[in-house]
Amino acid sequence: MPILAGAVFLFSFLFPASAQGRQGRYGGSVVFSTISDPKSFNEVTAQETSTTEILQYVFEGLTRLNPYTLQVEPNLAKRWDVSADGLTWTFHLRDDVRWNDGQPFTADDIVFTFNDLIYNPDIPSSARDIFTIGGKEFKVTKIDNYTVRFVLPVRFAPFLRGMTQAILPQHKLKEAVKDGRFNFTWGIDTPPKEIVGTGPFRISEYHPGERIVLKRNPYYWKMLDGDRLPYLDQIIYLIVQNQDTSILKFLEGELDYVGVRGSDYPLLKPLEDQKHFKIYEVGPDFGSQFVCLNQNDRVNPDTGKPFVAPFKLRWFRDVRFRRAIARAVDKKRIIEILKNGLGYSQNGPMSPSAGFFYNPNVVKYDYDLDASRKLLSEMGLIDRDGDGYLEDADGHRVEFNFYTNSNSPERIQIAGIIRNDLEKLGMKVNFLGMEFNTLVSKLNVSYDWEMILLGLTGGVEPHFGNNVWQSSGQLHMWNPGQKTPSTEWEKRVDEIFVEGVQILNENRRKKLYDEWQLIVSQQLPFIYTVLGANIFAVRDKFGNLDPTPLGGAFHNIEEIYIKE
Amino acid sequence: MFTYAIRRILIAIPMILIMALFTFLLMQKTTGNFYDLLRMDPHISAEYIHKYEQLYKLDQPLLVQYFEWVKNLFHLEFGYSFYYNIPVVNVIGGRLWNTFILSFSSLIVTWGLAIPFGIWAALRRNKAVDRVIQFCSYLALSTPSFFLAMLLLYFASRTGLFPLGGMHSAHYEELSWFGRRWDLLKHLAIPVIALSVASVGSLQRIMRGNMLEILHQQYVTTARAKGLPESKVIYRHALRNAINPLITLLGYEFSALLSGAALVEIIVSWPGLGTLMLTAVRSKDIYLVMASFMMGGILFIIGNLFADILLARFDPRIRYE
Repeated sequence: MPILAGAVFLFSFLFPASAQGRQGRYGGSVVFSTISDPKSFNEVTAQETSTTEILQYVFEGLTRLNPYTLQVEPNLAKRWDVSADGLTWTFHLRDDVRWNDGQPFTADDIVFTFNDLIYNPDIPSSARDIFTIGGKEFKVTKIDNYTVRFVLPVRFAPFLRGMTQAILPQHKLKEAVKDGRFNFTWGIDTPPKEIVGTGPFRISEYHPGERIVLKRNPYYWKMLDGDRLPYLDQIIYLIVQNQDTSILKFLEGELDYVGVRGSDYPLLKPLEDQKHFKIYEVGPDFGSQFVCLNQNDRVNPDTGKPFVAPFKLRWFRDVRFRRAIARAVDKKRIIEILKNGLGYSQNGPMSPSAGFFYNPNVVKYDYDLDASRKLLSEMGLIDRDGDGYLEDADGHRVEFNFYTNSNSPERIQIAGIIRNDLEKLGMKVNFLGMEFNTLVSKLNVSYDWEMILLGLTGGVEPHFGNNVWQSSGQLHMWNPGQKTPSTEWEKRVDEIFVEGVQILNENRRKKLYDEWQLIVSQQLPFIYTVLGANIFAVRDKFGNLDPTPLGGAFHNIEEIYIKE
Repeated sequence: MFTYAIRRILIAIPMILIMALFTFLLMQKTTGNFYDLLRMDPHISAEYIHKYEQLYKLDQPLLVQYFEWVKNLFHLEFGYSFYYNIPVVNVIGGRLWNTFILSFSSLIVTWGLAIPFGIWAALRRNKAVDRVIQFCSYLALSTPSFFLAMLLLYFASRTGLFPLGGMHSAHYEELSWFGRRWDLLKHLAIPVIALSVASVGSLQRIMRGNMLEILHQQYVTTARAKGLPESKVIYRHALRNAINPLITLLGYEFSALLSGAALVEIIVSWPGLGTLMLTAVRSKDIYLVMASFMMGGILFIIGNLFADILLARFDPRIRYE
């Protein structure tokens, strides 16, 4: 369970007007399951997917990502103009939108969401980091009731994608902000009808540890062939902590949808007809899983000792060493063993599902232990004393620690497979699984690690990973928080991320980010492993169902209806 | 009697605070804190995390944090949960009741079965019935409750006789009054069986032992010699004495009401305290852990006090000054 990246952006707004939308019938409910309770209903302070998964039905942004094309399209804003210098953006809002308590939605709500919530110094919000460029905020002003102007300090290419940011109601929250109570407002102890959004559903009941019931928002603005959407009366989320239980509940007919792991596939596939459901495979997951070597070349200021032993650092910083390891990752076998063959090998930082910005032409490392051995002996790492392990010229045995988080059984198994192959090369790998918190403090605070297997969640927009890729970033794991980039290629990546965010022409941007993906695959700060396939099973009873990799099965939930 | 109770309660207060201090230090001294998970999110800056750490005083020295917490206790504030950003009392609220329903049901089932079985086995000592009961008890005692819960869930999934975990059905709201009660009973079945089986086994053996001991006492022989009917001998004279030692046990059971079911709760997705506390400990949501710890401690003390008082009430030989 690594990182919740992209959660807000990926899940926020995926309601498209699907091309083949047909008129449906009203009524009925759909039953989903979620692995854990929402932690809050506060869209601004909330971080984790258990919360955003529920709130995606309740709140909307000015724009949204089209789940088919992955392009930005109008949502609460019906159109926008941009000035020639790319700094002034004027949004024209829909005038037929109401909050789910019947109040009208206006420009005041947008000004409030940005100026009083996101930019409020007393409210911790990850959105502020996204909407603050070089320490400067956007200027958000109301022109009239249905027009808002954003003035940016510099050009910001992901701006429209950022505008999927959920808008919150001023009339419900301004008192809480004034009293300084906002951080503790809209927690799970709030009566659900107080949670007011513009989305197709509103929260109607929440029973901790059991279920969340969302009911149709009667004021929802979207229409389909003269029908006011959504068609469904309610969405019920059962909280089921265990994936195996979810599968059983699905087979019993209690759930209408379930995520399918590679290992579940052989169980479910033969039952499709008998139990009336269909399995969809929509391509690779977002996110990544990778091996990373510690390249931190600095000295621990507390002890005066280097973070990484100098002779090991010499190996880790040598790209041949990293390439040798990349050649020793048997992706085919990992997919075969762990995913039942339902997986994809990953070669670069973007998932193929990311579409436009994904660069397929990166360096790929096929499993080839002989090639690894050749690279290692080029570096002078050979078995000098005949004990079966490699040594460098000074007689240091090639031995290092390998950590991962122990709460993911799959990751432990992947680490086992990788370790096995590295041992075959003659490396002594001391593997240890540990609690996630412990691992993170090693990564971020003590820098006391040598090799890790970890994951990051990803999205469509490369810039939102800049904390990882810029050499000054805290998540630049292999050598975080550098004052000046320690290698030429890191310097080039820094330039790409600084430049890329200011180019408004998407094709020119893509060229830059293609280069970044190529550099990463050549230099291998992260040695990528495999991506799972995004597979799910849906009961055969829904109309207008049209799954996509980005949005999953129910991205157009407001158009989905129950067939007779 | 009354002063005794008061004295016991007063002694308990420093005891709980000291125990709380140890829990607090244990939670704090292990590596990392709650916000480590957020640190790994590419979207979240260090300033953002720092803001939260300030909000919850995580940047202060440990003892300052502890005494701040104790000070708030006297205002009946148990602190805020980092995870939920609301007072821990509101997080625990309804889940406390759910755990109570489960534990209390299994308590009733355990005692309702164990006592009659124990008496029956004692009266039929070394007969076939006794042998069967003792065999089953050994079997029950050696089956961990979480394992039994898994077996029962498997059984439920194969037969469809019972729901697969949870406390209510998805469409609970649409059921009639009777339907709702029935729904709850069906959901209770698996966890209650899992929790009760082993306890029935052990309690039954204690009851049987006590009963056998009493049946060999001279006053039982005397009563029989006087020509009292056997039922009177057993139920009026033997049983009342045999059950006395069990009252102390009831006090302990009381203290385990909120914590004893955690493992089974997690397995059958019962919406109780179990899962909540497991995540709280793992993610280092300190004040949530502390609150549950306090509840456990207080219940333990109340349970023991309760048992002592009951014992004095039922056993004329015991008097507290």
